[in-house]
Amino acid sequence: MGTLGRAFYSVGFWIRETGQALDRLGSRLQGNYYFQEQLSRHRTLMNVFDKAPVVDKEAFVAPNASVIGDVQVGRGSSIWYGCVLRGDANSVNIGCGTNIQDNSLVHVAKSNLSGKVLPTIIGDNVTVGHSAVLHGCTVEDEAFIGMGATLLDGVYVEKHAMVAAGALVRQNTKIPYGEVWGGNPARFLRKLTENEMAFFAQSALNYTKLAQAHAAEHAKPLDATEFEKVVRKKFARRDEEYDSVLGDVRETQAELPLPKAS
Amino acid sequence: MAALGRFSRRALATALASKHHLSTEVAKAITPSRDRVNWDYRGQRKIIPLGQWNPKVAVDAYVAPNVVLAGQVTVYDGASVWPGCVLRGDLNKITVGFCSNVQERCVVHAAWSSPTGLPAESLIERYVTIGAYSLLRSCTIEPECIIGQHSILMEGSLVETHSILEAGSVVPPGRRIPSGELWAGNPARFVRTLTHEETLEIPKLAVAINDLSKEHFSEFLPYSTVYLEVEKFKQSLGISI
Repeated sequence: MGTLGRAFYSVGFWIRETGQALDRLGSRLQGNYYFQEQLSRHRTLMNVFDKAPVVDKEAFVAPNASVIGDVQVGRGSSIWYGCVLRGDANSVNIGCGTNIQDNSLVHVAKSNLSGKVLPTIIGDNVTVGHSAVLHGCTVEDEAFIGMGATLLDGVYVEKHAMVAAGALVRQNTKIPYGEVWGGNPARFLRKLTENEMAFFAQSALNYTKLAQAHAAEHAKPLDATEFEKVVRKKFARRDEEYDSVLGDVRETQAELPLPKAS
Repeated sequence: MAALGRFSRRALATALASKHHLSTEVAKAITPSRDRVNWDYRGQRKIIPLGQWNPKVAVDAYVAPNVVLAGQVTVYDGASVWPGCVLRGDLNKITVGFCSNVQERCVVHAAWSSPTGLPAESLIERYVTIGAYSLLRSCTIEPECIIGQHSILMEGSLVETHSILEAGSVVPPGRRIPSGELWAGNPARFVRTLTHEETLEIPKLAVAINDLSKEHFSEFLPYSTVYLEVEKFKQSLGISI
């Protein structure tokens, strides 16, 4: 019925207007400590004057990553959450199928103590672990940088080499083919077996597939995500595991076939 | 009068559009990537469901808006996840237990399989404090522990109850840190056992951080008021609301 619909609409509108007025009143009461929310001005891809990032269409760049300046990212690579790839002083070149995992930092030096200026070049199918810091170094194809590793200026990691987790690789160190270096400062630990070297390429491939799943999720428009939220709420059931943590242990019923929400 | 107003607004809009064209002309000369969103005002979503997995946050858990929870992540009551963290449960489950806190800039990930053969989920039990900038990968942290800042726990590590890991410690894959001990170093080595008083302090630290997180939690309104700024934007650019 038209008039009833209109009545609900206008009442709803009055309530929202009142709400906004109350919001303004509350803000005035907060006085000096009033906080006004801002739109997110985070720019995933940002150019520094004339240096713009060139990111392949097939690469996954997480929305809260920052790819700044002269950065090139190849096909199938992934830049995960919270990474900062800063190519402002020099260039950063990332190959295909490489993954730069969460919270990593890839930076270049314009000048360093020895006077040589080095761009950062990361080859194909490299796995750079979480929170790694790569500063002006070169990493060849299919290498593995463990999580939390710090690679300083001029480091050259050869093919199929591995930097262990938490390592600090000092300036101008060359990590030869097929070796594991680790520790602080990094020193030779052991040689890699053939299986482990084959694993690097496999892990890069796994990450490419994982990146596609994440990219698909991020590419969804607002309507799709909101719709899925509604569907999930509708078909949600009380989580037995959550309740059991709180002390209410129930017999688990048979698995309900949930409809595919995605 | 109104027509004049409309004309001027439209002129402003076209002027802005032409300036935008100009900037894209210059940008094309440097060949930026096509089909790529340079700036999405929506920012990064906090909770990212992957397929049928949906991250679950308890009602009184504080999860900073900067955090990324993806996949199978459950944050239980009283827990707090501080700004800059990434909890990526895309390959396996991640659980942050009751009254635990994952401090700033941590990365918690779970591998597909663990070298120990046990389930490779990342399980952080109750009253655990994980210091800032830590990296946890497929590890199990039993109740009432303290993990120091910038520590790295690799696949399959097990930190038993009432133990403390000093800052900067790197725990190799599959390492078990026994109960009631203090370990430190890269790779982590035994330092000393903890006294009973120190063991009692551990849950107190977690509770203290829980109180702090309540203060942070109270700073956020239930719904964001960003729509006000969007309306101002649209008004200034002459787009009709």
